[in-house]
Amino acid sequence: MDVPFDLLINALVAGLLLGAFYAAVTIGVSISFGMLDIVNIAHPGFIILGSYIAYIVNTRLGIDPIIASIVMAPAFYALGALVYQVYYASFERYGQEALRGLAFFFGLLFVTEVTLILVFGVDYRYVEAPYIGPSIQLGIIDLPLRMLVPCLVALALIGTLQLFLSWSFLGRAVMAVAQDQLALQLMAASPTRIKRVAFALSIATTAIAGALLIVIQPVEPSIGREYIGRVFAICVLGGLGSLPGALIGAFLLGIVESVTSTFYGPSWAPAVAFGFLLITLAVRPAGIFGR
Amino acid sequence: MRTLTFFLVCLAVAAAVFVLARLVDNDYLFFAGYVVLQYIVLATAWNILGGYTGYVNFGSAAFFALGAYASVFLHKAFPVVTTYFLDEPYALPIPALIVIGAVISGFVGLGMGYLTLRLRGAFFAIATLALAVVLQTLITNWSYVGGARGAYVIRPNEIEPIGPYIQYLFLLMLALAVIALTVARSIERSRLGLGFAAIRDDELAAEASGVPTLKLKLIATTISGALMGMAGAPFPYYIGYLQPTSAFALDYAVNSIAMPMIGGTTSWIGPLIGAILLGTLQQVATVTISSSVNLLIVGLLIVDCVIIAPTGILGLLQGRRTARDVVADPAVFAMLFVVNVIPIYFLHQEALTARPLEVIFWGVLIFLALARGRMVGLPWLVALPIVGAVLSVVPGPPWLWLVSALALVICLACGLLLRPREAVVRSGTP
Repeated sequence: MDVPFDLLINALVAGLLLGAFYAAVTIGVSISFGMLDIVNIAHPGFIILGSYIAYIVNTRLGIDPIIASIVMAPAFYALGALVYQVYYASFERYGQEALRGLAFFFGLLFVTEVTLILVFGVDYRYVEAPYIGPSIQLGIIDLPLRMLVPCLVALALIGTLQLFLSWSFLGRAVMAVAQDQLALQLMAASPTRIKRVAFALSIATTAIAGALLIVIQPVEPSIGREYIGRVFAICVLGGLGSLPGALIGAFLLGIVESVTSTFYGPSWAPAVAFGFLLITLAVRPAGIFGR
Repeated sequence: MRTLTFFLVCLAVAAAVFVLARLVDNDYLFFAGYVVLQYIVLATAWNILGGYTGYVNFGSAAFFALGAYASVFLHKAFPVVTTYFLDEPYALPIPALIVIGAVISGFVGLGMGYLTLRLRGAFFAIATLALAVVLQTLITNWSYVGGARGAYVIRPNEIEPIGPYIQYLFLLMLALAVIALTVARSIERSRLGLGFAAIRDDELAAEASGVPTLKLKLIATTISGALMGMAGAPFPYYIGYLQPTSAFALDYAVNSIAMPMIGGTTSWIGPLIGAILLGTLQQVATVTISSSVNLLIVGLLIVDCVIIAPTGILGLLQGRRTARDVVADPAVFAMLFVVNVIPIYFLHQEALTARPLEVIFWGVLIFLALARGRMVGLPWLVALPIVGAVLSVVPGPPWLWLVSALALVICLACGLLLRPREAVVRSGTP
């Protein structure tokens, strides 16, 4: 097959930009699923919720969606703490998280999605911001700002989280929960409290990821479902609970998806993510950087 | 031998249902009944894996659609053949399609299990979701079976001994339901079922006691997948026009989880109860309210059910978790309370005929207020949602609705702000 060089380069660059955004979407699951063993499949539901909040703030008040999302992050943190408390009190304490906890999050995903459909309808919504539209030309490479800005924000988010986890006391406690809960209890620390903080943090990231999503593409309530596969694929691909691993997994998936949709058409792109996930699960379930 | 007795009893019940339906002689009854029966098969199939072995399958729609698309493919590949001695216009009768659909879906289930079941349970759940999307993308891009546009399957109006074609389909689905229930019950009573239960309760311990866990799990995925494929095979003939979005509709995935959860997952009768209740409820609801509200109701029933009645309707009889345990944590009380107001709000905007459906959620609110009220020493707290329910259901001026909302807010605030009378036994992690 004769591949035009500039098309390939552009597909690769677009894949990298997309990958950074995917990493921002995944980072919450890397914490909740990878470190805390909470299979939060409602994560994309929270992301879409974040998108819609950014949309409301943007259209009503005209505030930049990304800044609005950073302001909203504490509210999402509180929401996350509430959800974890319910999850803990109803399932984790009884050791029923495998079946009923999963069904709980599944139901939650539905409730958020359908509620958004009932309130906003199934029309695509989009935001206004100065960086949506223009792009930078670097030689043959085309850098659209609507991808570049989310990419930078995503990298900043992941960097901050990684610093928090490896340098702060609380962050190290979160890592400790991931490693050995029993040992933590023997140190007289409560795993439940630390897990609540970590889970709330993972939901707080969805506010920002949601804003990035609506900057990149118009949003309607049920596109969250496409992200379930992507998010878990990246999380498993990079190795559970490793933030740098998630970043690299996200870059890989972004590039593969971008190249596929450039050369084979966008209708094949969803299959790539999920196919990737199935192959990873079958061949190397621990992921590329697995523990 | 007891399985045979059970099978015969089921068959007798099925025959009685069919005869009764024929006596009523309303085509709509058959159309609605078909869907309920289809859910009985799907819920029972899901429960063989999800309920007996404890592995959650989110991809029911994939197996269902696989059966449906196998039928479309065969329908196209072996076009109409009119023979001299038969009036039968199809080369392949639907029972044959059902068998083929079962074999294909069973094999996919086996492959799926082989790929993922060696890992922790959660991976299986995620992988089934992935499978559904991969299959949907493949089907959408495969123009032979209609691609994204969909495919027409034209069915005859009549079939020889039975009459209207929908009655034939109804009868087939009835037979499938009998088969599914018999399979589920016979598994439950056998060594296989004991093995499944051992995996569900503690996989590591089961493995250590010599239960061949991988083999059993593969058997479970295969049977479960095959039954779902069977349910899907006649679907193109029922709907007449099959497109990927209708075959892979989330309704199947959600309902096949919700129904066993609501009915009870440990026994064959749980999915049956859940499917009949929820299936009938939805058939009634689709006539009156939008399909989005319909899905909202199902989603909320899942959330309510896993928290309040974790063992389903069957478990309510045993009463394993008390009302007190449910609302002991204020977070659980607050979230359940708020979340159950959502469907009431949306149902209120629907037609007046949708009002009776609100009763379910008002019931949950009343239950929450009662349990929490007892705990904080305010037994009259239960009066507030009752007043709210009465005010919102009776016709009256619009401001009555505000009073009703106010009553709920006060109830929520009282439940949250007042401290429990006696110290709640806080059971921390062991």
